[in-house]
Amino acid sequence: MRFKTEGIVLRAFNYGEADLIVTYLTADRGIIKGFAKSPRKIKSRFGSSLEPFTHARVSFWGKEHSNLPKIVQSDIIQPFSHVREDINDFLRLSHIIELLLSLYPEGISNKKIFYLFLQCLSYLEQAAAQIFCAEVDKNALYLLFKIRLIAILGYAPMLKQCGRCGQRGLFYPSEGAVLCVRCAPIGARPMQTSKAAVSFYEHGLTWPLSNLMRVKPSADIVGELIALLDEHLRHVLGKELKTAGFNIR
Amino acid sequence: MSQGIVENLINELMRLPGIGRKTAQRLCFFILSMPEEDARDIAKAIIELKEKARFCQVCFNIAEDDECEICRDKKRDSKKICVVEEPSNLAVIERTGYRGLYHVLLGALSPLDGITPERLKIGELIERVKDNNNNVEEVIIATNPNTKGEVTARYIGGILKPLGLRVTRIAYGLPIGGDIEFADEVTMAKAMEGRREL
Repeated sequence: MRFKTEGIVLRAFNYGEADLIVTYLTADRGIIKGFAKSPRKIKSRFGSSLEPFTHARVSFWGKEHSNLPKIVQSDIIQPFSHVREDINDFLRLSHIIELLLSLYPEGISNKKIFYLFLQCLSYLEQAAAQIFCAEVDKNALYLLFKIRLIAILGYAPMLKQCGRCGQRGLFYPSEGAVLCVRCAPIGARPMQTSKAAVSFYEHGLTWPLSNLMRVKPSADIVGELIALLDEHLRHVLGKELKTAGFNIR
Repeated sequence: MSQGIVENLINELMRLPGIGRKTAQRLCFFILSMPEEDARDIAKAIIELKEKARFCQVCFNIAEDDECEICRDKKRDSKKICVVEEPSNLAVIERTGYRGLYHVLLGALSPLDGITPERLKIGELIERVKDNNNNVEEVIIATNPNTKGEVTARYIGGILKPLGLRVTRIAYGLPIGGDIEFADEVTMAKAMEGRREL
């Protein structure tokens, strides 16, 4: 059976001498993998269409429920090549991809996630290619994407009030929620949260990424929330992400 | 019993990349028809390679001793170092007539696979370049023309450029013998960027 879909390349594994196993995020099939024959050869017809972050129209060939259909054609819609050339963007996106691959199960369609990631890539590309006069704050974009992603997937922690009784309290990463003094477990370590950070987070759960064109959160708020969500996700996943500790400088 | 020996060799050959059952079977029967001496030479060469091969302590190419043949060759231009990802990349560059030295990184940066700069031979390259005795004037970065290779090149470039060296990257563009109409937009854009005057 042949099927066509639109996808964004998340990662590609070398397989054999010149083959690749490519992981896509698609709008209608969620995360899927495909096998491409000889794309690493210089004169391959795939060209650069299987490089990470490429948004492409892809044709697959395989049995209906095949785990690894063959990629028979791939036409670039948007290459997002500027993003690939910026080390910091590459690192941020690698982290996002690892998060996606860890939290989002394969083969389940979710258009919201697809278009959110596509929009995030578009903003980063426009910033990298200097299309906007006022550059978007990439750290804020990365943070807002993360907030929206975990909200869509159902992993967003409650920061406004105690998750058990509704009183004020502190955030406990091990519990995935804010808890008041009474409800907090003994010995668990809380994290301080500022009012401004909680307010930005609460709005961010539903904000489109385009809001960052007019709302500019301070570096302190962004830093505080990134640290908080990283700690929260570490507990959710039960492991450290490989990309979390990847500091290039 | 003889079927067992044949089957055993077929299974062993199938462990090699790009060799399926049919190819393994063909190779097996070819080896069977070879003079015994030739078959022994192949087996000996494989054992010798596994016993003696190690990484050159200077450039991390495959070597028999502490230093590889290229690093030992005093006739080569020691002012140029070509940086590649894998030892297998060297052979292609050697065929171009390049007569400088090399440095093999043994991989490329890949955050998703946990391959950090510390896991590559980047620190060793920097030490080598900084060493005044080596008189390095140019570092040519010939990592693969893909995302990981490009990020690795940019990372190395960012460290080496402040040292006052000439740091160059191999050109991007169209393969010789191909038709422009089959090129994708990214390759073509790179070819246009890297155009030169006739």
